[in-house]
Amino acid sequence: MPRIQFDKIRKSFGSNTVIREFSADIPDNEFLVLLGPSGCGKSTMLRMIAGLTDISDGELRFDGELVNDREPRDRNVAFVFQSYALYPHMTVRENIAFPLIMDRFKGWYHIPILNSIMRRVIAKRPEVRDRVTEVAEMLELGSYIDRRPKTLSGGQRQRVAVARALVRDPSIYLLDEPLSNLDAKLRTQMRAEITALYQRVNKSFVYVTHDQVEAMTMATRIIVLSDGEVRQIGTPEEIYHRPADTFVARFIGAPAMNLIPVRLRDGRAISDSGAQEIAQAPAHLSPGPAMLGVRPEKISLAEHPGSGVLGYISAVEHLGGESVIGFTLEPSDPNRLVQTGSTETVHYARVPGTAQLTVGTKQWFSIGDANLSWFDADTGLAATPDRSGQEVELRSARTEAPAP
Amino acid sequence: MIRKIRKLPGRVALFLGLGLFTVFAAFPVYWMINTALSTDTELYKTGQGFWLKLSRLGDIPAKLAEVPIFSWIANSGIVAFGTTFLSLVLAVMAAYALSRFKFHGKGLAAFVLFATQMLPEALLVVPLFALFASFGLLNELHGLVLANTAFTMPVAIFILKSAIDKIPYEIEESARIDGCPRSGQLTMIILPLIVPSVAAAAVINFFDGWNEFLFANTFISDAAKWPASVGLASFVGQYATPLSSVMTAAFLFTIPAIVFFLIVQRQIVSGLTAGAVKG
Repeated sequence: MPRIQFDKIRKSFGSNTVIREFSADIPDNEFLVLLGPSGCGKSTMLRMIAGLTDISDGELRFDGELVNDREPRDRNVAFVFQSYALYPHMTVRENIAFPLIMDRFKGWYHIPILNSIMRRVIAKRPEVRDRVTEVAEMLELGSYIDRRPKTLSGGQRQRVAVARALVRDPSIYLLDEPLSNLDAKLRTQMRAEITALYQRVNKSFVYVTHDQVEAMTMATRIIVLSDGEVRQIGTPEEIYHRPADTFVARFIGAPAMNLIPVRLRDGRAISDSGAQEIAQAPAHLSPGPAMLGVRPEKISLAEHPGSGVLGYISAVEHLGGESVIGFTLEPSDPNRLVQTGSTETVHYARVPGTAQLTVGTKQWFSIGDANLSWFDADTGLAATPDRSGQEVELRSARTEAPAP
Repeated sequence: MIRKIRKLPGRVALFLGLGLFTVFAAFPVYWMINTALSTDTELYKTGQGFWLKLSRLGDIPAKLAEVPIFSWIANSGIVAFGTTFLSLVLAVMAAYALSRFKFHGKGLAAFVLFATQMLPEALLVVPLFALFASFGLLNELHGLVLANTAFTMPVAIFILKSAIDKIPYEIEESARIDGCPRSGQLTMIILPLIVPSVAAAAVINFFDGWNEFLFANTFISDAAKWPASVGLASFVGQYATPLSSVMTAAFLFTIPAIVFFLIVQRQIVSGLTAGAVKG
């Protein structure tokens, strides 16, 4: 159950830098999710933790001990691959038993022919056999135990992969997008199973995904990555409610956080065109251009016409229990009012029930003053309230990622 | 999987075609056996009959009494099995290295291996003879094994490399995480997955060794060490060729090869169909 410390980790393949600089300190027993779009370097990061990929620069420590040059088998980690990577020629039982057998293998057992004899001999030892049976039962694989992986469904293969990780009782579980090959229903079920497993074994988990729902529902801590850089480290709540920059704001949430370009003047946030006041500006922010971030659920339909923000409805989606309403602040081309409009200018409100609204009509919206996010218009970095009560110059208001 | 032909005329045509092909392929073998069971008088004067005379099976030992055919076949076996074993052991390791490792000169190594296939054996007989003479390998069966391995191993390497290329890296990485060293990954994970290709390479290597004639004829002068291919050729005399004896020996010579093929063909067939079944 180690504490994982990343100290200025860098990874390049030739001239191509995949991880620019990665520093983080993850306490014991966290369910850490590395979240980011495809190609952001999250899988590379996981492989470096496992020891499957060399670290170009920087230090990786488990409980303060440098592990950069340790072989994967000496790191006491288990890895669940996206493709499951089960051994196709072995039965489920043999797959699960393999790590235990390898732990008990002496160097000379690897002599061809002798190795298959020794594998059988070790597999029959009571401590190995009983542990395999126990893990298989725990993951409800008992009835498939003598079948080959190709005869199993995706979910069953996934469980075999988890069982193989579980059987050694490692100190860190590494999971590389393990649910991405499953259908939506099975994914929800496996998500719950992995969370339950985490609570049961009470070990450190590092989980890579590009799916924000997985990250939000499973993680105790999330690291958001983009282009090989850490954008934010925090709990799911922090990431959701206090995004460090516009990238995180747009990446988390569906629909994503609305980013409304505004001008701050006299304690008010005025829409870019100057036509309407969007919200009250916090006192600590200096006047000038800014970006206002509002989660869709913080926007509601105004009770009284004439109060709040006037929007032009461009899309209405009924999701059963709630409705998502797309709107623009400016009536652009009248012909385009009936279309969805450009994604840059369409904002979304999520309201309960079935909103009886018509595309192309006007509607007044209320934006609450609580839980608003403010970003620098140029850098996209969040402006945090200055505790000294001084005005924050937005242009230089670089936010540090909240400490873990 | 071959699509089933449901309509009767199609099936009749298919079986007719396959039947004709079988007769065409099998007739020379039948004729070899028929000749082996004929007398030289029939062959050179009265003409041999179409049907087998099985009653003459008892004459076979007498026909081959003067030549050490079983010893020759044993020599062929040593050369063929030796070539197959040595070639496969080396080819598995070379194919694994070419498939999995990055190193300088990898492309060149692959090209040089491929280039050996462009050179005809006859071109290399003289330099090899000189080389073997200096190493004391002339007139030795293990010298023949070495010479044949040099020619057949590149083919095996390419067959095995393409098979290893198809195995996802993750499976080996998974074994690495599980604590399996490189050698174990090769013998316990990769090898069982490429058995069909190993069997295919084994067949090619075995028959190269079994049918080997040129090197054996040049390098082996001691008649007791001849493989059967050279021994069979020695039947051909200046004034007469005992055809019936030649065919008897030839028939005996083919039996071990057929047995070997029957043993490994199941593995090859399973390899041919493995890719067609969705896993």
